Parts: sequence; C-alpha cells; structure tokens
Amino acid sequence: MKYEDLLCQALEIEPPWQIVRMRNDLGRHQLDVWVAREMPRRGWIFGPRHALPEVPERVWRHINVGQSRCVVHAATTADMAHMALPWIGAAEQVFTHALSRQIATHFMEGIKFQSICKLLDIPAGDLWKFKHSLDHGKISLSGKDTLMADSGQAQFGIPEADHPVWDALLTGGLDIEIRALSLKLLLTKLRGQMQLISDPEVRQMKAHELHHYFVRHAIQLSHELAQIRQN
Amino acid sequence: MTTEGLMPVAAVAELIREGHYLSLAGDEAALRQLPLGHWIGGTIPYFMAATGGTVSRDQVFVQPVTGFAAAPRLRLYDAGSLPQLCRNAPDHGFSLLIVPAFSTCHGDFARNAPNYEDMYLKPLAGWVAGTHLDDAGHATPQVVLGSSGEFSAEHAVVMDVELPPERFAQIDIVNPFKPGDGDAISFPDTGFSVDICRVNGEAMHLADYLCALEVDTRLPLVADYCGASVNVSIKHIDAAARRVEFYAPVFPGLTYRLAIASGESAPPGIGGDVSPMFACNCILNFLYEGLEGQPAGALTGPATFGEIGYQLLNQTQVVLTIR
Repeated sequence: MKYEDLLCQALEIEPPWQIVRMRNDLGRHQLDVWVAREMPRRGWIFGPRHALPEVPERVWRHINVGQSRCVVHAATTADMAHMALPWIGAAEQVFTHALSRQIATHFMEGIKFQSICKLLDIPAGDLWKFKHSLDHGKISLSGKDTLMADSGQAQFGIPEADHPVWDALLTGGLDIEIRALSLKLLLTKLRGQMQLISDPEVRQMKAHELHHYFVRHAIQLSHELAQIRQN
Repeated sequence: MTTEGLMPVAAVAELIREGHYLSLAGDEAALRQLPLGHWIGGTIPYFMAATGGTVSRDQVFVQPVTGFAAAPRLRLYDAGSLPQLCRNAPDHGFSLLIVPAFSTCHGDFARNAPNYEDMYLKPLAGWVAGTHLDDAGHATPQVVLGSSGEFSAEHAVVMDVELPPERFAQIDIVNPFKPGDGDAISFPDTGFSVDICRVNGEAMHLADYLCALEVDTRLPLVADYCGASVNVSIKHIDAAARRVEFYAPVFPGLTYRLAIASGESAPPGIGGDVSPMFACNCILNFLYEGLEGQPAGALTGPATFGEIGYQLLNQTQVVLTIR
C-alpha cells in the first residue's frame, strides 16, 4: 500500500474521494489536506494543482494525524451531505463527523472537558460550541455506538458513570445476580484489577469501563439493571 | 435439504456452492475435499450430532450463519494480530473464532484474551481445532479459511458477523461442574503448568496436594467468575517432578476449588423460537462421560480441544444464540 493510501485510510477518506493537495506550513503541528473527487494520478504531493468544482470551499477540523492537527478543505455539494462522509462536518460546525464522534466518545467515557481539549489539541471555545450544539440537538452523530449509547442510558435508566454504584460493584461492596456471561467475566477481571489499583483516577476509569459496558448492552441487562437501580 | 449438522462431504460442498456462510468442523482429509467459498473450518473428527456422539473422518459438521445485516468477513489472524480480534469485530454482531491446538495463537489467546481490547464488549465464541487421538504425534490441528482454501496450523481463523439492529447475539456456557466446598487453591502466576500454589493460604506443591488426596484428574479445578463456573482441566500430574500441567492456564487473583457436579444440562431459554447458531462441547467430556453413541441433548456441534466463550474454556459446552 502506498503512503498516500495509508494517509487516506487513517483519515477515513475513501474512493472516489482522495487527497489532492496537502500543506504542513499553515499552522504549527498542523496538516491541511484538500479532498476532492477525481481520477487517480501520480505524484499527488508535488504534482500540478487540480481544478476544483466551482462551489465554495469549506474547512473543518478533522481527527489528528499523530501529534498534528488535521484540517480538511473541501468544496462540498448538496449530495455530499447525505453521504455521511466522516471527513466532512455538519453545517455551521467546526469539526468533521469523525472528530465529532471521537469527542462524543470521550464525553461518554467521562473524560473531562479540559482533558479532551488537551488530549485532542482542541481550543476550548470550539469544544464549548460543539458541546452546546450536541446538548441542544443541533447536531447528530452518525456513529452507531454513540447513538445507541445515548438512547440506552436514558431509556434503560442506567446510573451516570460517576454514580457510586459502579465503584460498589467493582469493589464487591455490591453483589448482584448476573445472568450475562460477558458481564460475569468482565466484572471478575475488573475486580481483580481494582485490588491492585490505588490511583483514584485509574479506579474511576474502571468505573467508566463498567458503565460503558452497561450502556452498550443495556437491552440485554434488564435483570442486572433492575438490581442496580435499587441502590 | 438439510443445511446443518453432521453430513457427507458432497452435501457440504453443495451448500458451499450455493453460497451459504458456514462454520465447519471435520477431519483434515474431509475438509480438503471442499470447494472454496464462504466458510471457515477447523480439524476435528469428534462430534455431538443429532443422532448422538459420533467419531467420523469422512463427515463434516455444518453450522450455518444466517440472518446477518451485511456479508460476514472471513480472515486469518497470526499471533501478532490476534489481540486486535475484538477491536476488529463488528460493533453489533458476533465473531466465530477457531484456533489450532498447540499453536502460538492457542497459547497466547489462552493467556491474554481477557486483556484484549474490547474483550467482553463484543460476543466471541469458537473452539480449538484438534486431531483424532489416534493421530497424536503425526497429525497437526489446523484451521481453514474457506474463501482462499488456506490451511494453517499457526493462524486462527475468524468469521465476523454483523447483525441487524433488532437482533443480538448471546453466548452462554453449560458447565457440568461447579466449585466444590473444599480447599481454596490460588496461584501466583498465569500458566499452563504449576509447581507451587497456595492451599487455604499455605504454600505447597500442587502435585503433592493432588496426589495426597488421590484426586480424580478427570475433575477440573473450577473458579467462580461472579457466578460463572470456569474450569481448568488437569492434563497430567508429574509426581516425580512435582509439577501439574493443565489444558488451560490458571490465573492469579482467582480462587480455584476441586470440582463437583453442577447438574447443568442446557442453558436457559434454548428451545422454541431460540435455537443455537453455534455450539460445541469438549473432547474431555466426550471421552470421560463416554458420549460416543449417547444422545446429544439440546446442543450439537464438534467435540473440541478447547471451547471459546469469550475466553478459553475447558470441559464446557458453549452456545451462541441470536435473540
């Protein structure tokens, strides 16, 4: 596989779309890529500039490439909005769909606002704007995981990730009758790990891990969740 | 036309040519007669068939995969990529895994599967391929990627199956054993063989302990995983070397006890509209319980050199149902 194909794969850019231009001098630790639909050609980095469609170019912050920010430039047409392309973003949004999913996953895992800014090198203002849009239903996330998780938590009455019930389950302070084999095995593993972990943040991560399992499998865990809700 | 169960090679070949997605188990010679297609397979000649426990070198056990949302993905994993198994699995669906016994993949999976990324988040079932016991020493357990016809004694083969949103996969185990109420045995390290253990907190050689009790080595050690009984079967006690070998690793941090019968025979909810998509039993149950010629009960499938219900299991039936 060629390097340019690997980069496209990393950025979730699939044919017929491809990177037609790239610059790394527009910002510190920043990679700017221009994406368009065109025929393959040789020497795309140093080759002649390509004619882009006569529509306005739009810019979104995309998932990082290593330690570098990645900014996608593309001239979008109306039909592209319906394709759920991961490397473009919704109207009025700063982030691409792929980065939006990544951020939402971090929120779901209980990672703090400031930590997400630091981890992903995102300006706090951009993240506030994104969070506000998310909270007010102005954007939707195309990732299946996230959609299922959001509806699951609300529909099945799963306690929040920082609820003490998760720590009680992990430390054995709370025992419930478990029917799901995967939960029996997971909880055994996590309880073993908790015996060795003293760092509060790492212990909290384990609670989030267990919470994530319940969110993901809520529909199969009615027996277990009924017992948890009583605590 | 029958599409599942133990059947002649020609009938299986016909199913493959019709384009069915299949999980297959059979003797190597039988599997080598099959055409390329949407199937994965592993070598084993022992089966719990609808007609009862069977040893056959010329028939193949067929477990069709149906009801998927997208065409299942079939691929081989080497020992280096196997830890990505669950991460690569579909977000909503299940994976069937076959691992050749005695391979690096087998050993690594047995030791490390609980720590694979996304383990327990995505349903994973499967089995360990083996050989006829008469062939021990000159035959090698193998898996097959039916889409390419590649046989491998070193790779694991996987079928990743994506399900529609309204259906989900559930994995259950049926264990004829549970922990007894005897001594608590624990181990300092993960391993397939053990010298020193702790019995009720006191350090001693496990071999000495088991020999002194004249333990029936057909009974496994059993650990309680939050209500799931997980066996570790005893392969051999070397009294002179004071060493015990197992068919699966023991893990530190768990309490094991000698097994007693559990009385379990079938998982709850099997029957009616819910029928297994995949099931397997253990060759040790097949041999120790004398199952050849005996009725199979609700679950049919290969009798294997190890069962996979998320992680490696011993002397346990694994069943995957779609609900």
